[in-house]
Amino acid sequence: MTDWVLGALALLLLAWYLSSSAGRLDRLHHRVESTRAALDGQLARRAAAALEIAHGLDPATGLLLTDAASQALAAGEERPPDVPVLEAVENDLTRALQAAFADPDDLRALRGDPMLGESLDLLAQACLRVQLARRFHNDAVATAQRVRRKRVVRWARLAGHAEWPQMVELDDTPPPGLVDPAPS
Amino acid sequence: MGGSAVDEVRPEPEVPFDDSRGAERSLRIGIVCPYSFDVAGGVQYHVRDLAEHLIGQGHHVSVLAPADDDTPVPSYVEASGRAVPVKFNGSVARLAFGPVSAGRVRRWLGEGDFDVLHIHEPVSPSLSLLALWAATGPIVGTFHTSTPRSRAMIAAQPVLRPSMEKISARIAVSEDARRTLVDHFGGDAVVIPNGVYVDRFAGATPFPAWQGTPDRPTVAFVGRIDEPRKGLPVLTAAIPAVLAARPGTRFLVLGRGDGDEALAGLSPAHRRSVELLGALDDAEKASLLRSVDVYVAPQTGGESFGIVLVEAMSAGAPVLASALGAFRRVLADGALGALFDVGDPAALATQLVGLLGDPECRAGFARRAAVAVRRYDWPVVARQVLAVYETVRLGADRVGQDPATGGRLTRWLS
Repeated sequence: MTDWVLGALALLLLAWYLSSSAGRLDRLHHRVESTRAALDGQLARRAAAALEIAHGLDPATGLLLTDAASQALAAGEERPPDVPVLEAVENDLTRALQAAFADPDDLRALRGDPMLGESLDLLAQACLRVQLARRFHNDAVATAQRVRRKRVVRWARLAGHAEWPQMVELDDTPPPGLVDPAPS
Repeated sequence: MGGSAVDEVRPEPEVPFDDSRGAERSLRIGIVCPYSFDVAGGVQYHVRDLAEHLIGQGHHVSVLAPADDDTPVPSYVEASGRAVPVKFNGSVARLAFGPVSAGRVRRWLGEGDFDVLHIHEPVSPSLSLLALWAATGPIVGTFHTSTPRSRAMIAAQPVLRPSMEKISARIAVSEDARRTLVDHFGGDAVVIPNGVYVDRFAGATPFPAWQGTPDRPTVAFVGRIDEPRKGLPVLTAAIPAVLAARPGTRFLVLGRGDGDEALAGLSPAHRRSVELLGALDDAEKASLLRSVDVYVAPQTGGESFGIVLVEAMSAGAPVLASALGAFRRVLADGALGALFDVGDPAALATQLVGLLGDPECRAGFARRAAVAVRRYDWPVVARQVLAVYETVRLGADRVGQDPATGGRLTRWLS
């Protein structure tokens, strides 16, 4: 009789442990998903901000930026939701931005312009937010990976068919002069 | 059973191009401070300044903090009840815990209907951990402390991990705090420094009695007198050598504690060079830093950021600081202020005498520092914090209550 009760208790305990582990993993997967969605959103904002400012620049720089930004936007729109970010395209945009805003004197002149100054500010914000979003996403992925490596998760197949979470590795360094708070 | 979130349709990445000026939309923000507002402290000041700045920008902010029900608190603070002084992680703090606090946290979460929950020091055994336990949704955590890898924290990890995993964005106030966090929990965090109202210090009125003259230069120390970590013993040990080279030097000491005990090692002649000002309010502190010729920061450890350095730099006081990691970073490795070896009174004296004899060098430090501190100005810092809020809100729901933890158990207990 006691054995029976003990056995039932052990089973209950095991069930509770498995279900709480599954809940935890579920929450982590959700975090990976939502941080990915946030990163996608911020990348799209960055491309849109680059496109906007491209119209106000000299034609050569403008063309360079428009090309890179529209490639990135198109890649984001055509991509099915479960395909990873096209890292090469985003890296190209990063490099185009760095090339376009390499000269601190140019930047100062642009900042002084009432129309462009605001667009430049938006672009700087967007670049910073891409960095934030990517860091938060990779942090979530690292945590999810660690939990999925746990023995109980693998043996009880708590992850189901969920894909192995992947970090997003891309160069999101903003042009140096763009985001440093300008000393007024 | 676990993979359901992935099998579901992924929420479309929301790309509201037209409102990319997201920072200007009004947010409902819940901030949790683990330490009692009855007592002064770096985290409390940070939370207060952040809340007031965000409110000034038109956001709705509610701060949950421990405080007695009869303690007067600012209108945006929700007192969670009595805080108990307990020892945690090496020092005594006033914390709130237990079922009553947990119940209040749940009620506050329910009534607040927040877009974003911002929890300070999430791993402190107080309201922060309770809020983390009870909430779901977009949660930001700010880590203030930098400590060496601690055995206690490692032992507590199995308890903390599931809660820690709920934080969708982690902020560290300094590179040192980030390293502490990563050492203990892995993952990553963004560094957003503590904020300072730079103009309040830059625009403070100097107080003639504290201003130095060529014969009688003034040197300021700010910090608890009776806490050796703050470094007053290092400064007092350097005083004889400084007075030997510049006999008129006056040392102005701001901070609570028993001064006679701290200065017992000095001869009466040396003792006369030290003026104990006691505890001063914020405006007086700004005036002091605005008046003196040099501000000395002789701390010997445990500093994660060095907010007073930034305050002194904002006020235009040339800084001489011990070469702690956090201070070296604030002073850009000596470009924005002078450094001396940690805990070395002889090195402090040499540097201080050199600085007092070189007005041009002091002016250079002050000029470069005045430009560099702009990155710690609250408008700049708060903008970065808002960018974090906006980022965690993309693709996430509102703040809610965790059905798995916040439910039956606490309802029974409270």
